[in-house]
Amino acid sequence: MTSDFNKRLVATFRVETKERLAAISAGLIELEQEGVEEKRREIVEAVFREAHSLKGAARAVSMSGIESLCHAMESVFTILKQQQGAPSPALFDLLHRAIDFIDRRLLPVDAEPDPAGKSRVRELVLSLEKAVAGAPAAPPPPSPAAREYPPQEKASPADTVRISAGRLDSVLRQAEEMVTAKLAARQRAVELGEVSAALAVWEKEWKKVRPALRQARKARAAMAREDQAGPLGKLLEFCEWSHSTIKSLEGRVAQLATAAAGDRHTLGGMVDTLLDDLKEALMLPCATVLAGLPRMARDLAREQGKEVELAVSGETVEIDRRVLEELKDPLIHLIRNSVDHGIEKPAARRLRNKAERGRITVTVSLLDSGRIEIVVGDDGGGMDPARLAEAAIRQGIVPPDGAGRLGEEELLELAFRSGLSTSPLITDISGRGLGLAIVREKVENLGGTVTLLSAPGSGTTFRMVLPLTLSTFRGVLVRAGDQTLVVPAAGVETVARIPGSALRTVENRETVELGGKAVSFARLADLLQIPRTGKGGDDGLIPLFVIGSGARRIAIGVDAILDEQEVLVKSLGPQLSRVRNIAGATVLGTGRIATILHPGDLLKSAVKGAGLPSAAAHSAERGEAPRKSVLIVEDSITARTLLKNILESAGYRTSSAVDGIDALTQLKTEEIDLVVSDVDMPRLNGFELTARIRAARELAELPVVLVTSLDSREDRERGVEAGANAYIVKSSFDQSNLLEVVKRLI
Amino acid sequence: MERKRKKSETIAGSGELTPAEEKRVLRARAKALAREPDEAETGESLEVLEFLLAYETYAVEMSYVRETLPLRDLTPVPCTPPFVLGLTNVRGRIMSVIDIKRFFDLPAKGLTELNRVIIVHDRGMEFGILADAICGVRTIPLAELQPSLPTLTGIREEYLRGVTSGRTVVLDGAKLIGDRKIIVHEEIED
Repeated sequence: MTSDFNKRLVATFRVETKERLAAISAGLIELEQEGVEEKRREIVEAVFREAHSLKGAARAVSMSGIESLCHAMESVFTILKQQQGAPSPALFDLLHRAIDFIDRRLLPVDAEPDPAGKSRVRELVLSLEKAVAGAPAAPPPPSPAAREYPPQEKASPADTVRISAGRLDSVLRQAEEMVTAKLAARQRAVELGEVSAALAVWEKEWKKVRPALRQARKARAAMAREDQAGPLGKLLEFCEWSHSTIKSLEGRVAQLATAAAGDRHTLGGMVDTLLDDLKEALMLPCATVLAGLPRMARDLAREQGKEVELAVSGETVEIDRRVLEELKDPLIHLIRNSVDHGIEKPAARRLRNKAERGRITVTVSLLDSGRIEIVVGDDGGGMDPARLAEAAIRQGIVPPDGAGRLGEEELLELAFRSGLSTSPLITDISGRGLGLAIVREKVENLGGTVTLLSAPGSGTTFRMVLPLTLSTFRGVLVRAGDQTLVVPAAGVETVARIPGSALRTVENRETVELGGKAVSFARLADLLQIPRTGKGGDDGLIPLFVIGSGARRIAIGVDAILDEQEVLVKSLGPQLSRVRNIAGATVLGTGRIATILHPGDLLKSAVKGAGLPSAAAHSAERGEAPRKSVLIVEDSITARTLLKNILESAGYRTSSAVDGIDALTQLKTEEIDLVVSDVDMPRLNGFELTARIRAARELAELPVVLVTSLDSREDRERGVEAGANAYIVKSSFDQSNLLEVVKRLI
Repeated sequence: MERKRKKSETIAGSGELTPAEEKRVLRARAKALAREPDEAETGESLEVLEFLLAYETYAVEMSYVRETLPLRDLTPVPCTPPFVLGLTNVRGRIMSVIDIKRFFDLPAKGLTELNRVIIVHDRGMEFGILADAICGVRTIPLAELQPSLPTLTGIREEYLRGVTSGRTVVLDGAKLIGDRKIIVHEEIED
């Protein structure tokens, strides 16, 4: 422990002790005045808890005087809990004296460890113990030390304030919301940059027509005076006016873009600083969780007739309180696991030329800015892959002939499987085979990974890598089908792009070679069961990211890897309490929502084979006949989504437009085989759209299906008049008649 | 003031009214308005929000409605049952949106607009219901509610408060929002 850290710890302890002593003392006063037995019991219970907590805290900072006094007081309160009637005033005196003694003599910073103090502690403890034993409280030896009231320390204005963790969390959450504002500012800056770029294109075009303009101007100058005010003159004037207006707009846009970039910079900086400061305020040293471990390991070992020492290092590393909270269980399970299965009995250790006392180390270290590594290692017998395989076969997790093909890494991986235990003995927790499964689940829920290394005969090492904070993290934005999804960057080992030909099928599963190793491959769209668009990269390369670790790695193919950015996790709300493969959602800079993937779930899904592409999907993708494409024109997004789903599940490729104008633009650039259009739409309605399509030479033959809520003869006639091939009324709509109509037309 | 009175007299066309007569008429009107409504008129009543969904009128009690808003964006959530339409952004908060028709397994009747979200809440639960259009807030006397006619809607009785004479289907907000089946909670088994 560094001395700086120690000082801080002691300072915190002093604040806590003052509070607890005040609470005990107030409780004692109340207790003395309380007449009702039941109330008394409650008070005793409360002061008992205070004394107990204080004892624990004192032990953590090695203040043995306070610890033993608290212990003695605790015993008194235990007796009082069972005792009828009010305690004697003499006992109260004794307790108050003990409290005062802690407060005045043991707590002060400059308290020298003087032998007199120690003997006084012993004396007080002794009197308290006598009181417990039922002896009347010894007549208080008039002690000069206790009576000398040193001048009260001047009440200095408190430089620490207690705020409930809940409130701090809520403040942090609000500050984290500012990330959305920061992302939005970035988006605006980018958009303004695009407008600037568009204006630059205009500028270029303008330069191209300048010679023509000059000529026109010359021609105009040559005209008679009255003709100069004619149409050509007006046009020229307008051109010049347009030029100067757009030029000035260009200047303003450029200014705005600069200002927006500046704002983005300032806001970004402010939000980052605010968040960092707040997160720091919520960070706690690992010591708060690690402190109890050595004792736990020792007790556990004693129960089993083993000897274990547990050494902790890196307890000063600070982690988000919420992460720390979640880490307690995994650490306890890992240490139990080491004591139960790792460390051998002294006799066995002697045989192997090891020290009789086993050693477990817990090392916490910062990996990089955002991640920590916690390594729990023991010098025990290590895990025997052969025994793991045996157990896995016995419990039906692996088919008897399957184990032989598994590599050592894969065999060790089995240890994390729920229900698998090599221990013939079921102990308290470990041995039921749940311990390591729980560890993995907890760690993965935090967005981290856990791996296992084993050297048979010389020990087992668990390595956990975790994010430092919980709610904001770096995320990789990917696209699958038509959805944008976020993968927590902490869970991503690498991203890559591979040619489609690099995929090999092994035992009916696709694999890919990465860094000289074969890794299973699955498509994200298949894992999530969303329709594949079939659009890979333009260059035929498949973008992918790799999650998992050790033998449990998997490459997941996506349609595109878009970006990496800071992501604020939000829950999906109470109605979506847990969704397979999805960990939460976030708001992107554009204001749109993207769902966040759950790497742990994805691994399980992939292992279960949910990611196996169906034969149908394959043939559709590789089928000879190109799929027909349908343009859906509809202003309501739900209706659009519905139509899209119906048509896509029937094997059509779809694209969509939000109104007639949008549709016409798309028809110019894309190959479309049929148009399904709503009638009521802003800007250009379905009738007008149909008429424009029929009027365009290259589109005249394009089939148009109108889908509408207008159900009258006139409307139907109007639709036919405009040139629609079919007219479906929404109220009588069902997907079979739409598909039938579409099939008939293309 | 003078001109106003003259105008109203010409409109009424009932000839001259003396100020005294005018006062009497106004007082009578005021009295009629101030009269305690009959028991039958008040009784107990429900304040409901009426909305259109698939060419039918539904209603849900106002006390369960937090707000209504136009549906601007909808992000689908993979691996959810079909009745979950997706997520929408309500001023920075994320809200799941469901299609109660699919939840009730009602046959899809026609293609609908589904452009409004009604956010309902009760005891910690909160989600959005998609509707074609919002009709407005109405007070329905309880006496006017009749138990559902089985042929009228496919919604099982347990989710219904009743049906009005105007055939508005009044949903039981507490039952619907509190239904455990509406909560999606799926984990992947090992």
